[in-house]
Amino acid sequence: MNKKAARLGWLFASPYLIYTLIFFVIPMVWAAFLAFTNWNIISPEYEFVGFRNFMEALTSDTVKAAFFVTYKFMLMFVPIVIAGSLFLAYLIHSLPRLKGLFSVGYFLPYLASGVAASVVINGILSYNSPFNEKLREFGLDVDWLGSPVLAPLVIALMMAWKFVGYYALLFLSGLESIPKEIYESAAIDGAVGWKRFWYITIPMLYPSFYTVTILAVGLMFGIFTEPYVLTGGGPDNATHTWQLEIYNQAFEKLNAGYGTAIAVINSVVTFLSIFVFKKVLEKWGERHGWE
Amino acid sequence: MKACRKWFALMLALLLLLAGCSGKGGKETGTSKKEGVVEFEFWAAPNPTQEAFWKKMADAYMKENKNVKIKVSPMPESPSSEAGIQTAIASGSAPAISENISRGFAAQLAASKAIVPLEEFEGYDELISERKMEKTISTWKFADGHQYVLPIYSNAMLFGWRLDILKELGYNEPPKTYSQVLEVGKKLKEKYPKKFLWARPDLVQPTWSARWFDFFMLYNAASGGGNFMEGNNFVADKDAGVKTLQFFKDLQENDLLLTKAAKDPFETGTAIMVDLGPWTFPYWAEKFPKMKYNETYALSLPPVPDDADPANAKTFADTKGLVIYAQASKEQQQAAFDFVKWVFSNPENDLAWFKDTNLPPARDDLSTNDAFVSYLNENPQLKMYAENIPNAIPPIDNEKMVEIQEQIGKAALNPVIKSGKDPEKAWDDMVNAIKGVLK
Repeated sequence: MNKKAARLGWLFASPYLIYTLIFFVIPMVWAAFLAFTNWNIISPEYEFVGFRNFMEALTSDTVKAAFFVTYKFMLMFVPIVIAGSLFLAYLIHSLPRLKGLFSVGYFLPYLASGVAASVVINGILSYNSPFNEKLREFGLDVDWLGSPVLAPLVIALMMAWKFVGYYALLFLSGLESIPKEIYESAAIDGAVGWKRFWYITIPMLYPSFYTVTILAVGLMFGIFTEPYVLTGGGPDNATHTWQLEIYNQAFEKLNAGYGTAIAVINSVVTFLSIFVFKKVLEKWGERHGWE
Repeated sequence: MKACRKWFALMLALLLLLAGCSGKGGKETGTSKKEGVVEFEFWAAPNPTQEAFWKKMADAYMKENKNVKIKVSPMPESPSSEAGIQTAIASGSAPAISENISRGFAAQLAASKAIVPLEEFEGYDELISERKMEKTISTWKFADGHQYVLPIYSNAMLFGWRLDILKELGYNEPPKTYSQVLEVGKKLKEKYPKKFLWARPDLVQPTWSARWFDFFMLYNAASGGGNFMEGNNFVADKDAGVKTLQFFKDLQENDLLLTKAAKDPFETGTAIMVDLGPWTFPYWAEKFPKMKYNETYALSLPPVPDDADPANAKTFADTKGLVIYAQASKEQQQAAFDFVKWVFSNPENDLAWFKDTNLPPARDDLSTNDAFVSYLNENPQLKMYAENIPNAIPPIDNEKMVEIQEQIGKAALNPVIKSGKDPEKAWDDMVNAIKGVLK
C-alpha cells in the first residue's frame, strides 16, 4: 500500500476514530482514574484511595447480588429470546408474501420506550387489575412483582417481548441465505421435518446464533430501565442489576468513585462472560464446519 | 493529494465546530455577560406548570430590571433531576440557581461545596420577614448553621381516609391514635374482608425515598417532631421509634396492609387510608371526580401512640426549594438572589404559585393571610395542608441521608412487616446500621 492510500485510509477512518476517542477512550481513561478516588465528581476535594473501592465492591452484598442476578436473567432471557425469535423468523420465512411488513411489525416493540412498557406491565400486574381479579376468582393470589422468583421472570419476559422481533430479523436473514439445494440434497438422503431442522437449518444458522447469543448475553449486563421502574431492584435484591447498583452509588449516594469501580468490575465480568460464550459458540461452529 | 487536503480541511472544520459547540468558556457556563447586563440561568422543576410559572416571573422581573437577563429552562432528568444536576456541576454547566431541591439533596450538595449559604446574601433577612416564613425556615437550618435552601413549597403530608367507608363502619371522622386505627381496621375486616386499611408496596422495599411517606410521617407524629439526626449524630427517640415500628407490625398482623402493587387503591376503595399530598387533587378532579372532600374522603394528621396527644402531632414535610450554585459568579449569584427576593416579597406571586401548582407556599401565614384565605375557602381540601405547614418536619440534612434512610427500610421497617421482626430488635439493628454508615 502506498503512502497516499494509507493516508486516505486514515482520513476515511478518522470520523469513527474521533467518535471513539471522544465517547469511549477518554471516558475509559477518566473512569480508570475515578475508580481509584473517593471523588463524588462535584466536590472540589478528593483523595486517591488505591484499590479500596474495588475491595469494597467485591465484598458488597448488593454487588454480589447484581453479579448473580445478571446470570439469573441470562438463564431466563437468552433461551426464551432465542427460541422466540427463531420461531418468529421461521413463521415469517414460511410466509408466501408480505414478509417485510410482518418483520417490521414484530420489530416495533424494540422501538418502544422501556419506561412506557414498564408502566403498562405495572398496570396489568397490579393487585386490582382485571387480570389479577380473575386469577383470584380461581384462588390464585399472585404477587407478580413482590416475589423473588416471579419478578425477574416478568422482567425477562418483558425484555424478550421487546427484543424478539429484532433478533428474529437476524435469524430471518440467516434462513433466507440457506441455499435450497442443501435442503433438496438432504431430502434425498432422508432428512425431512425435525431432522431437517435439527441437522441442516440449525447448523446453517450458526452465524445468526452467534450474533444473537452474543448480543443477548451482552444485553444482560446493561439492564436498567425495567427494574428501575418496576421493582427498584427488589424484592430482596432479586432484580438488582449492575446498572442499578452503579446508578445508586454514583447518583443517589454520590459515591462516583466507588460507582465507577463497580462499572470497571462490571466491564471485566461482561468481557469475560462474552469471551466464554464466544469460545463455546466457536467450538460449536467448528463442529459444523464453520471457521 | 488534493482530495486528501480537502478531507483534512473538512475534518478540521468539523473538529472546530465540535469544540465550538461544547466549550462554554469557564465561569460563563449556561450564562453569558454583556456590557452592564447580568445574565443567568434558572433551572425550573421538570414539569410544564412550574416552568411556566418561573418564565412568567422572569419576564415580569426583566421588564422592571433591564440590566438582568434570566434564561428559564427545565432541569434535565437523566434519569432523575438530581443526577442531571450532578452531571451539570461535574461538567461545569450548572445554572446560577435552581428550584426542586430537597433538603437532603441540598445537604449532599452543600457537603461538596456546590451550593452557597443564602443567609450571606444582601437582603436575606428582609426576604424571610417579608415572606413571613421565620417559623417554617427555622427547621431548615443546616447542622453547620447555614441556610442553603429557600423552601418554595411545603406539603405537610397528611393521611387521606375514605370518609364514606368510615361512616359505613360507624365513624364520622378519621381515627387519631394507634388503637383507634386498629379498631377501625378490625371493623373494616369484619364488614369487608377483602379491603385493606393502607395499600403501600413500598413498605416491603428498601427504597430510601419511600421512608418519607411511611416511616417519617408516623415517627414525626410519635416523637412530636423530635430530631432524627443532628449533624452527624444519630439522636432519634427510641421510644417513639419502637412504637412506630410496633404500629406497623400490628397493622400487618391484622392483615390491614396491602403490600402488593395496586392501581389507585384508595380511589377504588381497595384501601381506606392513604398518605396524601395536595398534588393528587388535580389528578382526582380529572380521573376521579367522585372524590369530594368531607363527603368521599377526609384528611388527618398521622395517628399517634395512645399515650400521646393527637393535638401535638407532627408530620413529614414534602418540601423543596431554591439553591444558588457556587459555580456561578458572585454577580450572577446576587442577581439570582435579588430575583428570588422580588418574587417572594409579593404574596400575590405565592398565590399565583399556589393556584398554578396546588403546592402550598412555605409561609407561616398561609392560612391567615388575606391574600390566601379566599383561595383556601374555595379549595377547603387545601386548608389543612396550609394550617399544618409549621407542624411539618423537613427531611434530615445529612449528606448520608440516602444510606441512612435505606437502613431504616432494610434493618427495621421491611423485616418488621415481612417477617414480623421484633420492633425493639429492629430499632437496635437499624441504629447500629446507621452508625456504621456514619463512621
